[in-house]
Amino acid sequence: MGPGSLWSWFAATRVGRSIFRVGPPQSNLERSQAMVSSFLLHVQPAKVNRHALRASYSLGLGLISLYLFLILTGTGVLLMFYYVPSTTQAYDRMKDLQFVVSAGLFVRNMHRWAAHLMVASVMLHMCRVFYTGAYKPPREFNWLVGVGLFLTTLGLSFTGYLLPWDQLAFWAITVGTSIAGYAPVVGPGLKYLMLGGNIVGQEALTRFYALHVIVLPAIAGLMVAVHLFRVRKDGGLSRPGESADTVQSLALDQLPTNKTYGLMELARGTTPQVGQNPEDEVFSWPHLIFRELLLFLVVVAFVLFLAIFWNAPLEELANPIHPPNPAKAPWYFLGLQELVSYSAFWGGVVVPALIVTALVVLPYVDRRRVGVGRWFARERRVATMVFSVCVAAAIAFTVIGTYFRGPNWGWVVPWRTPPPAMEGR
Amino acid sequence: MGPTPRNGPVVSRRSFLQLSMGWIAGTFAAAATALGTMRFLEPNVVFEPAQKFKAGAPEDYPDGSITFLEEERVFLLRRGNTFRCLSAVCTHLGCTVNRTEGGFHCPCHGSVFSPDGVVESGPAPKPLTWFLVTLSKDSRLLVDKGQSVGIDKYLIL
Repeated sequence: MGPGSLWSWFAATRVGRSIFRVGPPQSNLERSQAMVSSFLLHVQPAKVNRHALRASYSLGLGLISLYLFLILTGTGVLLMFYYVPSTTQAYDRMKDLQFVVSAGLFVRNMHRWAAHLMVASVMLHMCRVFYTGAYKPPREFNWLVGVGLFLTTLGLSFTGYLLPWDQLAFWAITVGTSIAGYAPVVGPGLKYLMLGGNIVGQEALTRFYALHVIVLPAIAGLMVAVHLFRVRKDGGLSRPGESADTVQSLALDQLPTNKTYGLMELARGTTPQVGQNPEDEVFSWPHLIFRELLLFLVVVAFVLFLAIFWNAPLEELANPIHPPNPAKAPWYFLGLQELVSYSAFWGGVVVPALIVTALVVLPYVDRRRVGVGRWFARERRVATMVFSVCVAAAIAFTVIGTYFRGPNWGWVVPWRTPPPAMEGR
Repeated sequence: MGPTPRNGPVVSRRSFLQLSMGWIAGTFAAAATALGTMRFLEPNVVFEPAQKFKAGAPEDYPDGSITFLEEERVFLLRRGNTFRCLSAVCTHLGCTVNRTEGGFHCPCHGSVFSPDGVVESGPAPKPLTWFLVTLSKDSRLLVDKGQSVGIDKYLIL
């Protein structure tokens, strides 16, 4: 008896029926019921447009980010069972995880690599949404939620790497909070609030711990829920030839008032289902579910692969007297570090503020619904070029900060001088 | 002269008052919660090393020496019978500067300071801070990191 038939047998029993309601779906009706009657599956539609399943369109980046977030939550909770947010104990606990706790290093590796991957996948997801014009009406608000998720992801990684209380942790937080101190008007107060004092010490560690394990994950979780909800309410994944009707709002005042309405009649516009031809749609079970499970397995396998072969770095114990030389942030902040090496105010405050402002106003400025649902649409050549220049600049600064900066943040030529200890950043 | 005709619904005095009271009360509650939370998060007492510290006896420092006091992240400079104290905290983003041949060098973002703490190159916006040095009653050097002084202010013994 294979696992499939075992499950069929269980689903057919009295207990199985009480849990699943619908057995293995045999008909299209049951396929819809399977989606609708399950708590975990009902978040998704019973039928889905073929275009949304095209891996070459979405690259699965949003889903990959979600899976990494789940992996991070799971491994993070495990790490909390051993970690103590204390300046005298935190580093020892890291060593315990490495040498004493069964699979401790492995769990920490998974957490670290999943975090790096999540920063990357969130950034790439944002690029995908830009290049396919998927932020245009009616999806402006969901782009905003996405920007919030991007910033929360960065905040999570920033608060996370203080926790081991090693050299990287200590000096990254020293530099990071000092950058916050350059913000006009609120800067010094904000720095004091972040550190819980004037120096990076126990108070700062306590605060970053609280932010990392509950405040930011809760915010991220809530925003993920809103983000996914809005994907459905805005008509699923963007695709070419979407009916523009979906953006028209219902003329409520023209409706007769002597009538009661079902929820569907009050949905936005003509509901996202209008304009979708039956032949364009497939049942989520099994087409969507299968792909999602497959992608989940791929993501987990990749994180496991990284965690098996590469250990999460741990530098020396934090030494408030001597910064390492050069003191480098993780790769995704190295572009920023290169910028602040010119000017803390311009590079650390003005440029990031401009970038965030540009991302926030983008969907309200670039509203023309052309080229939606296609990569690098010809009609959006200018937008594509401007965005690509920004991305290229970000990559250039990151590469310079990573490979071309040595001791005292001086220039080094990576292929001539052996780069200083860079392991695993 | 009758009232000017206007478009849109007319708000009665009662509902106007009720609405404005509601909005004012709601805004006040939200502001009080936000400010109270901020105030809660801002510590009134911090358990940090004192800003003032004793740096030992003057004769511990030979003439012409520049001594790095690790715990305090300052340099103590003696020239003849004058004593000065220079912060080792980079004014850019708070890393500890290293002493070099020609002054001080910050490892984080490459700021270079002259022996007087003046910025020679790099992103540091201000010179390194000079701290007030006095003599305590038991004849020890007393540095106050809470008080910055001009470059020309010495303790002369």
